Amino acid sequence: MKLPALSSSKAPVKFRIPTADNLVPIRLDIEFDGQRYKDAFTWNPCDPDSEVVIFAKRTVKDLKLPPPFITQIAQSIQSQLTEFRSYEGQDMYTGAKIVPIKLDLRVNHTLIRDRFLWDLNNFSSDPEDFARTFCKDLKIEDPEVGPAIAFAIREQLYEIAVESVASAKENRLSKKGRRGFEHVLASKAGGSTDVMKLFSFKSSVVRKRKERDVFEPTVDILSNDEVDALEAREEQNAR
Amino acid sequence: MSATKTPVKGPTPDADVIHVPSYSRWFSWNNVHECEVRFLPEFFDSRSPSKTPRVYHYYRNFIIKLFRSNPSRKITFTDVRRTLVGDVGSIRRVFDFLDVWGLINYSPSALNKPLKWEDGKDSTSGGAAASKSSASAPDSNDSLTPNKEALKRLCTACKSLCTIACFFSDKYDLTLCARCYVRGNHPVGVSNSDFRRVELSEMTKTEWTEKETMQLLEAVMHYSDDWKKVAQHVSGRSEKDCIAQFIKLPFGEEFLNFSDSGEFNDKYNNQMKGPSDVDNGLETIPKSSPSKRMRLTPLADSSNPIMAQASFLSALAGVEIAEAAAKAAVTALYDVGNRAHKGSPLFLTKNTIQEAGVTSNGDTTLNEFERACVEANSLIEKDELDVERGIEGITEMQMKEIQDKIARFEELDLQMEKERQQYEQIKNQLFFDQLTVLFRKSSAPKTVERSEESVRIDVS
Repeated sequence: MKLPALSSSKAPVKFRIPTADNLVPIRLDIEFDGQRYKDAFTWNPCDPDSEVVIFAKRTVKDLKLPPPFITQIAQSIQSQLTEFRSYEGQDMYTGAKIVPIKLDLRVNHTLIRDRFLWDLNNFSSDPEDFARTFCKDLKIEDPEVGPAIAFAIREQLYEIAVESVASAKENRLSKKGRRGFEHVLASKAGGSTDVMKLFSFKSSVVRKRKERDVFEPTVDILSNDEVDALEAREEQNAR
Repeated sequence: MSATKTPVKGPTPDADVIHVPSYSRWFSWNNVHECEVRFLPEFFDSRSPSKTPRVYHYYRNFIIKLFRSNPSRKITFTDVRRTLVGDVGSIRRVFDFLDVWGLINYSPSALNKPLKWEDGKDSTSGGAAASKSSASAPDSNDSLTPNKEALKRLCTACKSLCTIACFFSDKYDLTLCARCYVRGNHPVGVSNSDFRRVELSEMTKTEWTEKETMQLLEAVMHYSDDWKKVAQHVSGRSEKDCIAQFIKLPFGEEFLNFSDSGEFNDKYNNQMKGPSDVDNGLETIPKSSPSKRMRLTPLADSSNPIMAQASFLSALAGVEIAEAAAKAAVTALYDVGNRAHKGSPLFLTKNTIQEAGVTSNGDTTLNEFERACVEANSLIEKDELDVERGIEGITEMQMKEIQDKIARFEELDLQMEKERQQYEQIKNQLFFDQLTVLFRKSSAPKTVERSEESVRIDVS
């Protein structure tokens, strides 16, 4: 695992998911011969590539999918992994960034909506732990919810990290030297919640009343009909 | 429910008993056993902050709880990984580990098979044993099919019913029970190498046609180790049959690594042929060409009934078990022997090799052990020589020292002599001088008294 280079926000850090374990969120959505396979899970990029094929075979066997799925699954995982690896080794600026993470997912019969702030600079953060606590606190019975939450958080963190790499590259190309750093910081602060404003003297740490609803987690248990309706709507949107 | 296996109660509230194979007896909910540490080191070497023993513990208990909530259903890896928060690679490894050790997906019906202990041994040997093919491993799922049971074997020699294992010769169409085989109770002209060991489960007498053999070869070329696919490709043959037939093919042996044991068989044979040749047991390791088929050595025709019994037992037990037993026996004997006879290592090793040979039936790594003994002995001799030489050197040195000292003392002596002589001379000279002074003084009479005085003074 890579350790964060410096705690200073100005120095660039090698790309990685800003959590304790450098796990890659993998999303699979394969359609073949009328059968649709959708899945999402976290993968450890340190595992050897042979693991990919083993995993694909295992999944196909367990879910009794037709054999051509194996290659498709393996390919999909591999391409996402290579994409991740292409970002590795490049720099990213994380800055003093606190980002809002939004959860809006449906797992089987449970609908989850939540919004909270996450410190991008905290490289020892653990989405899995968050997910476990979330499920325990809200007494969620469906065990599949936990991994889904962790996955959603990871995915969003991954996207943000990728963005920061892209912006870092841009800045390096356009401006050089000291000016580059300042510019980066300014742009960062604009995009995310302004930390300084939030925690300064004048405002308090307590959230404003109208924002409280947004930041509260909601868990709904749906009935079968609602699930079907939602699924139909989702598929329509997808098309 | 079953008396043969150790039932282990999980924390489930119902009164059902959960069956756990006896080789997984070490499992406990709250502790992590050392074999878990060995098999899954990634959680215990603190290389990654999220892979801690606590996390491993959590995954493991979660998976087992999930299985035990519904023990009649086998859980799949995908079920588990969808419900566990964590990265799928490590979850898969924990799952596989638990699966191999029978802590999950272990069905009690497996207990009622004969020769269960061999199955247990097979699955504990690394977990990947499923991919190794061996003619002596019965596939317990197939062993109780009715048509196979109908083929009971009668030994052609002693006309008794064969149980467990028998030896079949394709060439002469003979069936021998294990006892007859070991005693060499077969017609003249047939050697023991023509027989192959057949388990009761491998009783299908159908011949392999050319077409089937061709299909088999094709399939093996394509799928190499995946015997399931091979069996599918070859119409009408089960996996085990394919494997057995493949082994029987003339080149099949190479894939099974038997050439080593074949070689050793010859050496062992030569050794055993002369039970009186105790002395050359170690030194003469004759060269032999590796044999292609697995040869079971006919120890029993020697006059020793104990060895006959032992070889019969090992023929029954099979290769791997006999090997393990022999190794254990050899090491134990060696330890005991070491303590007893410190002075005659050669005698010991010879004995142990003979005894090991009896139990091994020729298929062990005795070869290596012999070599190790020989090496050890030569090392001992070398050490002794070194020690002698060392002592010689030391005594030489000391003698030289003494000689040097003597020489020096002699020199000193000589010097002292010389000095003493000089001293004598000087004394004499002085005396002489004194006398001359006296006489001169005495020649002058006036100075008689004075000279007398002086003489007196001088003399005093």
